[in-house]
Amino acid sequence: LDHGYALHTAAKDCLSSVVSQDVQTLAERPRGVFYTSENDPAKHTEQHVGRHYSIPLEEVKAVFPHGLPYRFQQQIKTFNEACLMVRKPALELFTYLKNSNFAHPAVRYVIYGEKGTGKTMTLCHVVHYCTRQGWLVLHIPDAHLWVKNCRELIKSSYKEERLDQPLQASVWLKNFKASNERFLKEIKTQKTYVWGKQESTEEGRPLGEVVEQGLARVRNASDAVGVVLKELKQQCQRGSFRLLVAVDGVNALWGRTTLKREDKSPVSPEDLTLVYNLRKMMMNNWNGGAIVTTLSQTGSLFKPSSAYLPQELLGKEGFDALDPFVPIPVPNYSPREFESCYRYYLDCKWLQHEQARTEAGKEELRFLSGSNPRQLERLAGPL
Amino acid sequence: TLRLIYTTTAVQRKNVGASGPEKYTEEFIKKQIEEFNLGKRHLANMMGEDPETFTQEDIDRAIAYLFPSGLFDRHARPMMKHPTAIFPEQRKIQWGEDGRPFHFLFYTGKQSYYSLMHETYEKLLHAQKYQDQLTAQDLPPEKKERNLAGSRWLTKIELEEMLLEKLSDNDYSRFIQLLQKLMTLPCGDIEEKYIQKFFKEVPVQLEKAVIEPLKYDERGVAFSTGEGIRKTSRATVVVYDNGTGKITVNGIDVLHYFPVLQDREQLLFPFQFLDRVGKHDMICTVSGGGRSSQAGAIRLASAKALRSFVTEKEMEFMRQAGLLTVDPRVRERKKPGQEGARRKFTWKKR
Repeated sequence: LDHGYALHTAAKDCLSSVVSQDVQTLAERPRGVFYTSENDPAKHTEQHVGRHYSIPLEEVKAVFPHGLPYRFQQQIKTFNEACLMVRKPALELFTYLKNSNFAHPAVRYVIYGEKGTGKTMTLCHVVHYCTRQGWLVLHIPDAHLWVKNCRELIKSSYKEERLDQPLQASVWLKNFKASNERFLKEIKTQKTYVWGKQESTEEGRPLGEVVEQGLARVRNASDAVGVVLKELKQQCQRGSFRLLVAVDGVNALWGRTTLKREDKSPVSPEDLTLVYNLRKMMMNNWNGGAIVTTLSQTGSLFKPSSAYLPQELLGKEGFDALDPFVPIPVPNYSPREFESCYRYYLDCKWLQHEQARTEAGKEELRFLSGSNPRQLERLAGPL
Repeated sequence: TLRLIYTTTAVQRKNVGASGPEKYTEEFIKKQIEEFNLGKRHLANMMGEDPETFTQEDIDRAIAYLFPSGLFDRHARPMMKHPTAIFPEQRKIQWGEDGRPFHFLFYTGKQSYYSLMHETYEKLLHAQKYQDQLTAQDLPPEKKERNLAGSRWLTKIELEEMLLEKLSDNDYSRFIQLLQKLMTLPCGDIEEKYIQKFFKEVPVQLEKAVIEPLKYDERGVAFSTGEGIRKTSRATVVVYDNGTGKITVNGIDVLHYFPVLQDREQLLFPFQFLDRVGKHDMICTVSGGGRSSQAGAIRLASAKALRSFVTEKEMEFMRQAGLLTVDPRVRERKKPGQEGARRKFTWKKR
């Protein structure tokens, strides 16, 4: 698993954004040692580890309509540019993906690590890479959103015991449409789906219609999602396109939910249509793509906050379901990465405090944040 | 015939306060001493130890064991001490059977004080005569260097104890002045012995905290330990050299153990003060107290441990910054009649 520490160099550093909106000049402006102008994740190599690279804002909107963490989105708004740091785990994943044999069943990768070490960002990096490569990306931003805080639960029309979640499903369909427009026109359905008395989708219609149907008739949104997933799984095997299933917070699929039915009996995840369909996607009985998932403790329910290993967060059921998988640990910043992140904040004039610019200030930040990306970001905020 | 004299009850009542503290007779004290010794032997037998070599500390321990008490005041607990320690020394009766006092200064009121002044003045005159004799013989006056720095005069209370009678401040100052005058003269050995009675060695100066030398472990890395206390927490810390600033508390990483920034800032303080932020590794064990007090305890312990790595000047800076002092603030007790330690109950006018 340690082969190829993917050259995640400077994912963040790629700030020498030629394409950044600030810089209108075409010439590459090297913004510092910690920036790379390589905007294509495919070309990131070991030299780029620890450097930032920027993603043009239009691409951000296209590729990540719903994927980025909230704080990062705020950062994008503030800095007016989206910068990601290239780190080893992401590069590792790239090598695996490049060398994966698509005739074999899809390999599952589980990104795990302590809180705030950059798992979601790694996942977003991978998603960006795959989009650039032309894959169809099925990105579920946070599976935890599907198992908690749901206001409306309707009984599924397809299967009796199951429950639908129209709101979450429709939101996801909208984002999915935004990110994968061209694929939806190309892929054709292979079966007829009957939505209600008058509505049905014929065989051979583009998948976009199914999505439209789901968006228009919110009641059937969850079923639409299920249909989309099934179609993609079947068609991917033919090899016309590559499918990347990126799920954040995959441990939500096998845990408990906080939802209750009207008679106050608890709902287990299998009873939710969305979760059920997603679980089917996670099985490795299809080929022609890859499944990349992240464990997340932050949104997880009923799990202690110190748990971060796959065993603990997935539970026995989840672990068995995902087994075998390739675990990819994401550690805290190495000294070099910390250095680069610090320089980035300095360059963007995010750190305004005079002492923050000194060497002593840097040591202090390093000590107090413990080289944890999230802590560093929170610390740098008020400064 | 008897005549009944009419007197008021007020006069007949004994004035208890004026008679002073109870006087113990000598036989009473002697009896107490005999009983004490007997009791000591009994106690030694009970505890199964040798009665001959049973010291006062053994007695204290035995009593504490046999009569456990939860009282806070040490003096209220059961104790068994030699009668001379319990009954204060008292003046024996100063006059004989015929009512005539023994001492010639009895009627001055403070007989021992005046007799002492008298004696001291005699010594002074004697010294002056000796000096005159020496000058008459044209010999240089002997002057011995006496070490005044390490000793002090007796305090007023100590003098009172020695004389067994009350003194006033004025009396005491007169006596000390006399002694000082005696000292300034080139008296020599003669009065030396007399003056020694009124001198006291001042105990050794505040011991400077002993800085432990650095220890080296198997890998050759220098390390030092320190202990810290704050409120109810106790912390022990081992600080290693050539480190990266990694800190482990009770086997858990510092980010997980102290999720709050404030606690981590407390840990940072000693290192930042000495500009050694990323240079040392630390392994701590801490118990008791809450989150904030544990952080404070570790801070004190790490400051103490860093003393071995640091020059004396820097150590003085640390001490002045308050990094090396134990924080004496403890939780104040709740008092009856009040809601908390300070907060009173809501005052209602009616």
